[in-house]
Amino acid sequence: MLAYVGRRVLLAVFTVWAISVLSFAIIQLPPGDYVTSYIAQMASSGSVVTEEEAQNLRIQYGLGQPIYVQYLKWMKLVVRGDFGQSMEWKRPVIEVIGDRLWLTVVISVAALILTWVLALPIGIYSAVRQYSPGDYLATFVGFIGLAVPNFLLALVLLYLGFVLFNAHIGGLFTPELQDAPWSAARAWDLAKHLPIPALILGLAGTAQQVRIMRANLLDELRKPYVVTARSKGLSELRVILKYPVRMALNPFASTIGYTLPYIVSGSIIVSLVLGLPTVGPLLLKALIAQDMFLAGTIVLLLGVMTVIGTLLSDILLVWIDPRIRIEET
Amino acid sequence: MDARIFVASQWQLMWWRFRKHKVALVSAVVVIGFYTIVLGADFLAYADPDASEAQRSLMPPQRVHFFDGGRFAPYVHGVKGVRDPQTFKRVYRPDPSRKVPIRFFAEGAPYHFLGVFPATRHLIGVDGGGDAAQAIFLLGTDVQGRDLWSRLMYGTRISLTIGLFGVTLSLILGVFLGGLSGFYGGVTDTLIQRTIEILRSIPTIPLWMGLAAAMPREWTILQVYFAITIIISLLGWTELARVVRGRFLAMREEDFVVSARLVGCTRTRTIFVHMVPSFMSHIIAATTLALPAMIVSETALSFLGLGLRPPAISWGVLLQQAQNVQTVAISPWLMLPAVPVIVVVMAFNFLGDGLRDAADPYGH
Amino acid sequence: MTTRWSRLTAVLVVGFLSGAVAVGALAQSAGKTSLVGKLEGPEVVTDAGKAPKAFKEAPQLAALVKAGKLPPVAERIGQDPLVIKPLKEIGKYGGTWRAGFTGPADFWNGFRCCSGPDHLMFWDYTGDKAVPNLARGLEMQDGGRAWLVRLRRGMKWSDGKPFTSDDFVFWFEDIYRNKDLNPTPSAAMAINGKQGVIEKVDTYTVRFKFLEPYYMFPDVLAGSTDLAGQWGAYKSMGGFAPAHYLKQFHPRYVGEAELDKKAKDAKFDSWVRLFVYKNDWALNPDLPVLSAWKTATPINTPTWTLERNPYSVFVDTAGNQLPYIDKVVLTLAENLEVLNLRAIAGEYDYASRHVDLGKLPVFLENQAKGNYKVYLDPGDYCDLIIKFNLNYDADPELGKWFNTADFRRALSLGIDRDQINETFWLGTGTPGSVVPVDSNKYNPGPQYRKLWSTLDIKKANEMLDKIGLAKKDAQGYRMRADGKGRLRIEIMTLGGQFVQYTQISEMIREQWKKIGIDLQVQEVERSLALKRTAANEQQLAAWNNDGSEHLFTFPQHVFPFELAAVATSGPHWVKWFHSAGEQGKEPEPRMKELMEKWKKAFGVPEKERIQLGKDIWRIAAEEVYIIGVVGQGPAAMGVRVVKNNMGNIPSRMYNSPDAKTPGISRPATFYYK
Repeated sequence: MLAYVGRRVLLAVFTVWAISVLSFAIIQLPPGDYVTSYIAQMASSGSVVTEEEAQNLRIQYGLGQPIYVQYLKWMKLVVRGDFGQSMEWKRPVIEVIGDRLWLTVVISVAALILTWVLALPIGIYSAVRQYSPGDYLATFVGFIGLAVPNFLLALVLLYLGFVLFNAHIGGLFTPELQDAPWSAARAWDLAKHLPIPALILGLAGTAQQVRIMRANLLDELRKPYVVTARSKGLSELRVILKYPVRMALNPFASTIGYTLPYIVSGSIIVSLVLGLPTVGPLLLKALIAQDMFLAGTIVLLLGVMTVIGTLLSDILLVWIDPRIRIEET
Repeated sequence: MDARIFVASQWQLMWWRFRKHKVALVSAVVVIGFYTIVLGADFLAYADPDASEAQRSLMPPQRVHFFDGGRFAPYVHGVKGVRDPQTFKRVYRPDPSRKVPIRFFAEGAPYHFLGVFPATRHLIGVDGGGDAAQAIFLLGTDVQGRDLWSRLMYGTRISLTIGLFGVTLSLILGVFLGGLSGFYGGVTDTLIQRTIEILRSIPTIPLWMGLAAAMPREWTILQVYFAITIIISLLGWTELARVVRGRFLAMREEDFVVSARLVGCTRTRTIFVHMVPSFMSHIIAATTLALPAMIVSETALSFLGLGLRPPAISWGVLLQQAQNVQTVAISPWLMLPAVPVIVVVMAFNFLGDGLRDAADPYGH
Repeated sequence: MTTRWSRLTAVLVVGFLSGAVAVGALAQSAGKTSLVGKLEGPEVVTDAGKAPKAFKEAPQLAALVKAGKLPPVAERIGQDPLVIKPLKEIGKYGGTWRAGFTGPADFWNGFRCCSGPDHLMFWDYTGDKAVPNLARGLEMQDGGRAWLVRLRRGMKWSDGKPFTSDDFVFWFEDIYRNKDLNPTPSAAMAINGKQGVIEKVDTYTVRFKFLEPYYMFPDVLAGSTDLAGQWGAYKSMGGFAPAHYLKQFHPRYVGEAELDKKAKDAKFDSWVRLFVYKNDWALNPDLPVLSAWKTATPINTPTWTLERNPYSVFVDTAGNQLPYIDKVVLTLAENLEVLNLRAIAGEYDYASRHVDLGKLPVFLENQAKGNYKVYLDPGDYCDLIIKFNLNYDADPELGKWFNTADFRRALSLGIDRDQINETFWLGTGTPGSVVPVDSNKYNPGPQYRKLWSTLDIKKANEMLDKIGLAKKDAQGYRMRADGKGRLRIEIMTLGGQFVQYTQISEMIREQWKKIGIDLQVQEVERSLALKRTAANEQQLAAWNNDGSEHLFTFPQHVFPFELAAVATSGPHWVKWFHSAGEQGKEPEPRMKELMEKWKKAFGVPEKERIQLGKDIWRIAAEEVYIIGVVGQGPAAMGVRVVKNNMGNIPSRMYNSPDAKTPGISRPATFYYK
């Protein structure tokens, strides 16, 4: 068991490193660099940046050096916990990301919880009443989240919120509480703003979970012990819930790892539309501006989040289900 | 019936299982229907999807009257549009005196059916010598006055074919790498597995954003199209590879495989003649499920401004053009392209589920 | 042409004719809707005799004075207040102005609304005349070779230290002339290529000296040029800078070693970066400023707040120290749809930047609910232009056509401007050529509005046939003269701008099919656009020519003026222009004539300058180096949404980047009723 955990942790570290290289490389792919982007912005507002100034800026930002040098420079900072300076924001990357990263986590977790709340009953019903009209209806509801383009849905909900409820447009806080220190009021404000993003995101991940739940439960329901339980006279509800569902939940738990990157990605789009102060909009702007430390750090941190999620769920799974341990070796 | 089960072939069993899943059946029909649109987009469209005209900007869908004086003779009213100087909205009033009859199999703009056969007939159209095919707007028009229905037809073609190419690529990659992984095991397996894990851990959107931002902007629409499909499928193959690998691992120890080897079949023969057909059904199911993901990805990329762009027409492009406040508030019909997206994705999902259920005919 | 296109033509002609009457009528009335008001604005009272003698201040400042933390208001303002007569009435103190911004790159947002503006001279509300602003007076000496700037006695920086001529000398000697901070001299400080100097006359008087007469100098001080206040500080320009504060970051006053350490501690790679950061009006709350409000929380945070400057030199005619409004709070809007929706919902008190003209109907619909009013402020310039790159040489045939005037003219005649105006400007623009509005002093005459700028497909086809492009292929597109197939040209556009360049270019692509031209539309990212124009890879490009109504302070889109441009008419000619013939290539005769007239205008008296300006626009309109499509529209920051409880709001503002709109309407006089 320990050997397994050890191996997985090692692998996780390696994966994180690979992500850092990949993300840095991808950010450098577009032609030009932060300075060309900066010059472009200046030009659009009518200001001139001459060639000499541009060169000066490049030297000052350290952009003149080859990529691997910049990457190593970044890595040296990262291991010290300092993620470099954002060129666009002219502040340390950590400060710019600040609240946003963990707000992304909050939204993702809220969405995940919502996904389970929806998927579990649907999956169970679907397995127990396979091929019935109820099954079709339930799976329809489960799948609808996958099918509806979530950016359009988000915009429609945003507009409807304003028209019908005079709701404050987008964001996760009302403006007054945006920068305030944490308090019960601020937490409640956040909770009030969460439902719409969590709903849009949660619906998207539901389909996958419904499938898994359904398949696992179907497997379990064929097993002899269920037949035994029924013949012994247990009520149908108890028959289903007491053992099969619990068994079916095991692999369910293991999929947290893979649902997480999906939800985090999805949250980027929803955040963009709803104007949420999470990592998504920040990342998009950073990629376009080629603000490499900021973009690289965000991708890295997102990757780390998902790797940790996967790691935890894999370990959880192995701990619960001894059969898998054998399969892995 | 019971006796036939024992002598039925694998495919027949699959079909019988599949038939039980009513919704999957319906979905199959729906999917086939959509792909006929792909083939017949030119025929089904009745207007030039790029023809703009400011005087018909943001026209709402026209009401079709089916009966004219008791007879089945569909028509629409001619429409007059002006911009209201107070609200700045374009206002359209049907002119009751002008009736524009709808003709079926009408003459319209010329096109090449299946890219080869020249033709001029469209499913519907109007006559009026010169006004041909321009005076009916079933789903209204967009901000430039372009007919939404026709644009939707052409958009369907591109969106559904992107899915196909992408899925084929994923399939090839997935079967190949998954097979290698499962069959040979050992180091190959570990390497491929780890690569898959790394790829799956990267949040996809940033990866797309980065890759798409890196794409040279001077590429033509077509080149961008193919690059997009490649990007999307580069991530989609992991799921297929997992399934294939799982199957290979399970099957390696099966009696029939061992006996094939013992009899003297080469590795290649064992794999392709004996092993692959037995999990073909799983592959088909997994592939069918991968397709809607491609379609959704294309719309997401277009939303981010990183996928297909005008003048190309796809569901993603159409939705991106509808992604603004004025559409939601004033011209909501422009959001209609979301409907085929929803329908197709649902249909493919039900179909895939049905196929997967049926793929294991000896199971439940 | 195939039957398909002739049918299309018929339809469009029919459609156009039937709509023409309606459109024509509307085009007339749109200009007269209640949304476009009468141009008006507050005036600066220049007569020192009429200045108020006693001053009042905001209650919170009065409290600080009582607590001994702030000197009395009269001492803070000095002997020569800048008196502004509010547009409608004397206002009340108090209130927070809520607005939105889009991120650290949106610094113009704050400069436009809240900097005062802090130019030495500034435009009056018509945008036409330069009047004294921070400078008490400007005197021409030595036939225009010297300009005496009188400062306001007792005027102070926002930290209470005096604003004197030392701040000019410091800027000139230690910033402008410092090669590390500023590698390139500015054209604003030069006349006919020769740099001028700044010298101190006494504490409150500064002289700008030049080697030749520089008649345009007052306009240069008034416009948004390099000598116009702290907005230019990020590129080390401005004309003046707070010497007492910045000296601690300058190597001449602090040792190199100590300065390097300071830089490293603040996480900057070099002292230059540190200096520029400290000198940034939007980034550094500690920077002393002269504007009406100063940054309290900087632009690189989610909320950019500006607070009143207690040493503000601006007062109203009753002696109240301006601004009336206490605070300006700009909240970050992650994307433009959210920003616009917030404006629609009435969450902003005043919004004009980033407001999308296409959403005008939604704004109007929600006026009552949001408790605001919508105004339109059309600009005087051309909202949409198409530039030809006359230096394009990657494809000699295309280069030849771009340099053929009749080719350009024919393409201009092939554009259906009414369609574009109706679709994208909702009919509020004026289709026409590049020349500025008729009332602009450099406008060559009303006939130039329509010159080569009407829809005349027949004539366009004739012209193209005549110059040698008569052969067409099977689809009806013209063939190249060199036999290498179809003539295909490319237009470069930017996405995400105030004007929908890409969609408009698509429309033009459809329109040019009727004259046989195959146009490819290429949307690119800003940085790529810059790269391509500088590398002479651009063929055509779509942009706007805002600022060009101030022809001499903003010539970027009249002729090729700078290399770093998202749309160019000729990078080789830019180099020729700036190097006085040393580098680059000599322009063709009429362009050369245009450039020389422009240079000459800076050194001649106003009457002659106006004639030169008219000549320049005349050449531009005749040669069609740049096609004008739709002008005098409100697309760029011309849709203004103002809450009903705000006072002293003009019904129409002069809309120009040079005028830092709404700065020209003195937001310091806005107040909450």
